Amino acid sequence: MNLTRAPQKHHDIEEVCSITVALPIPRSPLMFSRTIRRSILDTKIASSALPPTFLLPSRARYLQTTVQHVETPPQGLDPSQLPLSPAAESIKSSVTSITNASPLPPRGPPLHPEPITTPLKLDSSIREMLPLLAAQPSHYISIHIHGKPYLVTAGDTVRLPFHMPGLIPGDILRLNRAANLGSRDYTLKGTPYLDERLFECRARVIGVESEPMRIKEKKKRRNRRINTVKSKQRFTVLKISELKINSIEQLDMSTDAA
Amino acid sequence: MPKRTQGVLKALGLRHRMTTVFYPVTPEVAGQIMRVKELVSVEEVDRPLSKEELKAERRPDPGFWLEKAAPR
Repeated sequence: MNLTRAPQKHHDIEEVCSITVALPIPRSPLMFSRTIRRSILDTKIASSALPPTFLLPSRARYLQTTVQHVETPPQGLDPSQLPLSPAAESIKSSVTSITNASPLPPRGPPLHPEPITTPLKLDSSIREMLPLLAAQPSHYISIHIHGKPYLVTAGDTVRLPFHMPGLIPGDILRLNRAANLGSRDYTLKGTPYLDERLFECRARVIGVESEPMRIKEKKKRRNRRINTVKSKQRFTVLKISELKINSIEQLDMSTDAA
Repeated sequence: MPKRTQGVLKALGLRHRMTTVFYPVTPEVAGQIMRVKELVSVEEVDRPLSKEELKAERRPDPGFWLEKAAPR
């Protein structure tokens, strides 16, 4: 028999995450038309005094800020293997057991989890109020991705503060961790998370956004050497395509069948 | 913190916040825990967890899965 000594008590530091809702990503066409107009105006006034406006550093930066690029699809993931039949599953398990021998598994998104078999326990207040919540016109949800909350509604664009490996534009993600789900008058609060069968939230991968290259010069004292550190982060952009609240009757039917 | 308390924590191997250590249930360890009982929480487990298992326990759920992959 052993004894655990578990975490020392302390105040947990809340981490801050960035969320951008409804960010107009294709910024360049509008800016470009404006710059063209501006450059035409400039040529009327003094064409030799200044270079064209889109070459000025202040304008040129706008053209660089958000770069959309489609990355090459990862080799490990085959979409035909996604819906697993039992026969295919046995093949796949043998394949994975072989590939597990390699030191690094291919980085990719998590695939379909096991269906939850435990019966759904719903409080009487939820049974009473969830239809009212579902009847209201628009909903918000606070989804948790890797433990960080994002408060979104359907149609929002979320620029995640990191790059999700192994995804290409057009992939549909199912978001299954949420702390709150609400409408104008009702809020369903999770303890700490909601049961994932109560709602369906889907997000479509729009693309990858990247920041402009940052260059940091590192210099030590009494030494002429300057080290330049470059960094250029990439961020996955998601669009919340669907947010649906499942009806309690359907949930009861499915749990009875299971 | 008093020097004696600091010493007890150090002897138990608790050098940082949120550290987890495993010890067999003995009177010696019980006495040490008694000295720092306000600072720690104690739990009885069947076997000590490895470092990787502890890390996996702390890692939050990804919160998403790939439902439909685009043709690639």
